[in-house]
Amino acid sequence: MTETIPMRVKYLKPILLASTLIGLSQWSGLSLAQTADQLYKRGLAATCANCHGTDGKGVVDGGMPLINNLTSQEMLAKLKAYKSGALEGTIMPQLAKGYTDEQLTTIANQLGKKQ
Amino acid sequence: MDRRHFIGQSAAAVGLLAGLSSQTKAANLQKAEILVIGGGYGGATAAKYLRLFSKNTARVTLIEPNTSFISCPMSNLVIGGSRNLAEITSPYDTLSKRHGIKIIQDSVSSIDPDKKTVTLASGKTLRYDKAVVSPGVSLNFKSVEGLAQANKDGITLQAWKAGPETVALHKQIAAMREGGTFAITIPEAPYRCPPGPYERACQVANYLKQHNPKGKVIILDANQDVTSKGALFKKVWAEQYAGIIEYRPKSNVVGVDAKTKTLKLEVEDDVKADVLNVLPQMAAGEIAIKSGLANSNGRWVNVNFLNFESTARKDIHVLGDAIQIAPLMPKSGHMANQHAKVAAAAIVAELSGWEVNPAPVLTNTCYSFVNDREVVHVASVHQYNAAEKTFKTVPGSGGLSPAPSTLEGVYAWGWAHNIWADSLG
Ligand SMILES: Cc1cc2nc3c(=O)[nH]c(=O)nc-3n(C[C@H](O)[C@H](O)[C@H](O)COP(=O)(O)OP(=O)(O)OC[C@H]3O[C@@H](n4cnc5c(N)ncnc54)[C@H](O)[C@@H]3O)c2cc1C
Repeated sequence: MTETIPMRVKYLKPILLASTLIGLSQWSGLSLAQTADQLYKRGLAATCANCHGTDGKGVVDGGMPLINNLTSQEMLAKLKAYKSGALEGTIMPQLAKGYTDEQLTTIANQLGKKQ
Repeated sequence: MDRRHFIGQSAAAVGLLAGLSSQTKAANLQKAEILVIGGGYGGATAAKYLRLFSKNTARVTLIEPNTSFISCPMSNLVIGGSRNLAEITSPYDTLSKRHGIKIIQDSVSSIDPDKKTVTLASGKTLRYDKAVVSPGVSLNFKSVEGLAQANKDGITLQAWKAGPETVALHKQIAAMREGGTFAITIPEAPYRCPPGPYERACQVANYLKQHNPKGKVIILDANQDVTSKGALFKKVWAEQYAGIIEYRPKSNVVGVDAKTKTLKLEVEDDVKADVLNVLPQMAAGEIAIKSGLANSNGRWVNVNFLNFESTARKDIHVLGDAIQIAPLMPKSGHMANQHAKVAAAAIVAELSGWEVNPAPVLTNTCYSFVNDREVVHVASVHQYNAAEKTFKTVPGSGGLSPAPSTLEGVYAWGWAHNIWADSLG
């Protein structure tokens, strides 16, 4: 799946260019470009929501560890530790190994508390 | 428009055109009528995420006949008597109150993909620009002789769609004579929820162990072996339910004699039992078959895995149990929820004039209760493979629990609360 990343970049470039040609209206190319990329990122982070809640806001006292108290940095460190095996767990070490480092970074940036 | 071809033009022209076409398409997102058919794990999630991903601008209507959502996951605990139906029931109205989704309580009786309309049981016809269809499975009672009538008469139950039959099956088990036998039959895969029948056998055995210790559970499995978490289930049966659960693989049930409560097998001798839970062959939900969407052996719906659009019909996106799965993709509620998010993002992208995400990801986690507290899981991550146009699990990722644990029992309920909130809250 890594080979698909350049495709995305290739696609976004012309739209960025379009924004400079069209100017910034409400639906300018620039805001669309950001939103398209944002949509992909939200989609990726949403793979975590089944267990950790929509947008990372889990059910309080629901039984699943809450993640929205972590900063993006802390979350990424944890995800990488699960992936490497440094951090033990039940399901998370198995799931973390399925994502690329870039995807884990995106997820941590999306769901982690901004400092 | 062929976007990739389009991208290959001169930068300035492409930039200008892309900008303009995005402008008109963005307006399409707000104008389009999006109908979601079926408010289960797939449909409810799709409806909610169409709103979230469009920043609440898409017009979304959900059509579902049931007044509330009853979860199949955890329903085995109701059959085993450790939980009740209210604990696994969620309201639908949060989707309208919190997310502005229009809900129509009705069922779709037909879809006309040429006219792009659906007709409801009430007779009303609705137009759509995009339809999302997540009708779950249909049970082919005709695959077992005598079953349709036996199920109608309540002599055998399926309880594979959670609801009144879930409670009825628990009552039959509770009322079983001392030392009686409960038989569950499993059709050949693929069927809804691979580990579900084995979890159910554990729940019934757990109940019998406490209330009817001489009672027995027989699993008649048409498959060669346990289809999911095999080693874990077998260990539990040997350690926790020795003398209670009997597992018989390669046992294909072909008939039911309702009067004598006898199951007829393809090869082996007949099996008599006191309570019969016969799960017949499954296929995509009836509406998908009726609408000509089930183009995989007339049973399941082939989809384009980038946007979950049916390969048979344009602008109809099919999710969840109804689809022909990618390799190692289970028919699970977790998976249906994940399909819904990929489809919702793709629909928002298409209506906005953007390329759909070329690299979607899906995960699956599935917890099975082996008694009322201990749980085992299976997990997997599925990345889209552009070359093969399918989802593939990532080598080295995913896996099983080493052994049943109460910690995972807590997580299993945590999963349920969170997925219900993520899909319906
Ligand atoms: C005993 C059991 C245990 C399970 N345990 C788990 C588990 O632990 N984890 C897990 O992830 N999965 C589990 N599953 C599987 C899970 O229930 C299904 O995979 C999931 O429900 C599939 O979602 P869906 O949207 O495809 O279908 P459903 O959730 O069945 O939703 C279909 C909806 O469509 C509606 N519908 C059907 N036809 C029409 C029509 N014509 N018009 C309008 N509406 C219509 C139905 O009323 C229904 O609400 C279990 C299943 C069973 C039976």
